[in-house]
Amino acid sequence: MPLDPNHIINFLGNTINDKFNSELLDLIIKRIHKLCFEECQIDRIQCTLTPLCTRRFLLKLRIKNGLPLEDLPKFCYSVQKNIVLRDFRGKTVVYRPVDAYLYLVDFLDIFFHGDYRKLNKFISFQNWSEALEIFDDRIKNQNENFRYHQKGNFLIIKYDDRLHIVFVDEKYVLCNANRENIVSIELLQAICEFYAKLYFPEIKVKLTKSNYVEITSILPKDVLNTISETPAEAENPSKLDHYFWNVFYEDLEGMLQFCKEIHLEYDWMGNLLIKLWINLETNNFNEKKYKIQLRYRDLRFLLNFIQRLYNEFYVIWL
Amino acid sequence: MANVNNDKDLMEKIKKMTTEGKIDAVVEKIANYLSQSDEENSIERLEYVLETISSIMGGRTVIRFLIENSIIDIPTVLQNLSKRDNLLRYSVLLNLKTIVEEESDLFLPYSVELLGSEDPNVREALLQLLIFIVGGEKEIEDEPLLELIASKLVDDRDFVIEKAIQTLKAIGKKNPSIITRILKKFTKECSENEDLKKSIDDILRSIVTVEKIEEIVEEEESKIEKPIEELVEKEKELETKEIELKEKEKELENKAVELEVKEILSSFDLAQNEKEKQLKEKEIELKEKELELKEKEKKIELEEKIDKQTLPKKLIKEEAAILDKEIELKKKELEFKKKKLELEEKEKKLEAIEIIEKQKVLKIKEELIQREKQLEQVEIDLKKKSLEEKERKIMEDEAKRIKEKKTELEKKEHN
Repeated sequence: MPLDPNHIINFLGNTINDKFNSELLDLIIKRIHKLCFEECQIDRIQCTLTPLCTRRFLLKLRIKNGLPLEDLPKFCYSVQKNIVLRDFRGKTVVYRPVDAYLYLVDFLDIFFHGDYRKLNKFISFQNWSEALEIFDDRIKNQNENFRYHQKGNFLIIKYDDRLHIVFVDEKYVLCNANRENIVSIELLQAICEFYAKLYFPEIKVKLTKSNYVEITSILPKDVLNTISETPAEAENPSKLDHYFWNVFYEDLEGMLQFCKEIHLEYDWMGNLLIKLWINLETNNFNEKKYKIQLRYRDLRFLLNFIQRLYNEFYVIWL
Repeated sequence: MANVNNDKDLMEKIKKMTTEGKIDAVVEKIANYLSQSDEENSIERLEYVLETISSIMGGRTVIRFLIENSIIDIPTVLQNLSKRDNLLRYSVLLNLKTIVEEESDLFLPYSVELLGSEDPNVREALLQLLIFIVGGEKEIEDEPLLELIASKLVDDRDFVIEKAIQTLKAIGKKNPSIITRILKKFTKECSENEDLKKSIDDILRSIVTVEKIEEIVEEEESKIEKPIEELVEKEKELETKEIELKEKEKELENKAVELEVKEILSSFDLAQNEKEKQLKEKEIELKEKELELKEKEKKIELEEKIDKQTLPKKLIKEEAAILDKEIELKKKELEFKKKKLELEEKEKKLEAIEIIEKQKVLKIKEELIQREKQLEQVEIDLKKKSLEEKERKIMEDEAKRIKEKKTELEKKEHN
């Protein structure tokens, strides 16, 4: 029976093998190097159209670990950059560049071409006032369709429905964040705040003492009073009745996959408070029975729920 | 801005018409669009068109029509796309794949020009097109083109080298002998380049299978055999000439000896002075002839040397090595034949002995048969004799009985 990945994982996880792990890892590193530099990017057509690693994850491995451009397969990286650029410009791409990592300067070159040198300098030195001034100018005066939010080590940029996360200290950017895990509570809070600011400003986002991000939606008493007491009362239920009697519980069930806790409570005025408690873990388990980390797409699912609730049943009735 | 919107509208129309299958109309529209471009926007327009049609159903057919109707040509496309976007260039190349496979004549004429392009992207793209061409039914046997491709194995850009390797592998799979020959030739020209050796090694390993080795060797042998045969023939000629010269030398020596003898004999004959003179003259003539012959011999030797010098030293060495091997092989063959003959002789002797023995056995058998026959005859004779005796006895007994009866009857009559 040949070796399978579990054998390697188990071997590396076993402390008895510590002496041999470096040898084994050295073999893997050499193989990766050969694959990238000698087998894949040497044939540029292949590297462009059918790279030998799925969605250039080996490039991500290098960038996320802080390797400089000199240690990257340069042609492969140039293709990655070009694909993000083409996707941004609405041109045909071989694959949608989701979760693509780029160096900050290249990201800025694509999305803010005219100001990218200045922006790179300002962001690198965390000179936010200058950087945000450029952003604001572009939004107001050049009608560019993007929004941004800066918090701590993160700058979140949203172009249409695409979310790009700038890791300021690391000087790299996650473009089209989707399946990647959210790496910190600070970032999680920042994204929630960003969405709240954009789509549901009355909804509260805060960090609890137990390190959860709490998102509180308020369903006003007036709205609640319009919901029928039993589902059978009306043959053609209103939209509100239909939602709260038929869909709401399914939504809550769906939310429970990604929220640590959901609290439904009344405040002193009789409004219904829907509190979602989120952290970096979901309530789902993987094959090894470890909790799956919260991903950007999961968070988007949560935020879409809140946005719908807000737009359809909160603002209208307030 | 208005232009951009117009372009977008046109491209949307083109997309729609292409999906509806109105290819001729699309081609006409594109032709108009491109013909209205100026120096500044011509590349942009070409890119825009290719970008639009390369990603939609039926786009490939449109590209084919554009090429066939000379609205776009391959050198222009490759040279212009080279400057912009790798992804677009490779996408267009992929779209050209089936056209290239089926209609290589549209592309092959540009091969030499584009392989010599200063832009490595163009060289790479052309090599990729050649790979597509070979992927179809077409075989590339044009040696100057193949040599040009092989020359890209020492290109200054790695990705061009890699593409050249792939191209030669693709061609070599269909036609290994030509590629092997060209690569050998190329290796000799650049014998010190280690990377080149590796590349060539890589190509040869992938194209030369055990089955194909025999084909290549046979082809090469037939080509190598000719010069070897010529050399052997020349050697034979030289050997025969040498032998002839030696024979003539011997004749001359003999004649000289004869003359000397005659001289001695004639020294006693004073009256033969004139003859002596004549003889001396003849001797001189003979010596002259001898000298001439020696000169000729030297000339032949020189010619032989010149012939050898004109060939490259390596070739001479190789040929010498081949000749040595051939001689060794011939010797071995002769030894083998001798042994065969010996064996055959032994076999024949054994067969002869066998035959003799068989003959002896046959003779003995014949003798035995004769003896048996004699014995049978004797037996028959004996049986005949015994029968005759028995008959005689019976006859005698009968006669006796008749006599007795007669005597009895006579006695009775008397009584």
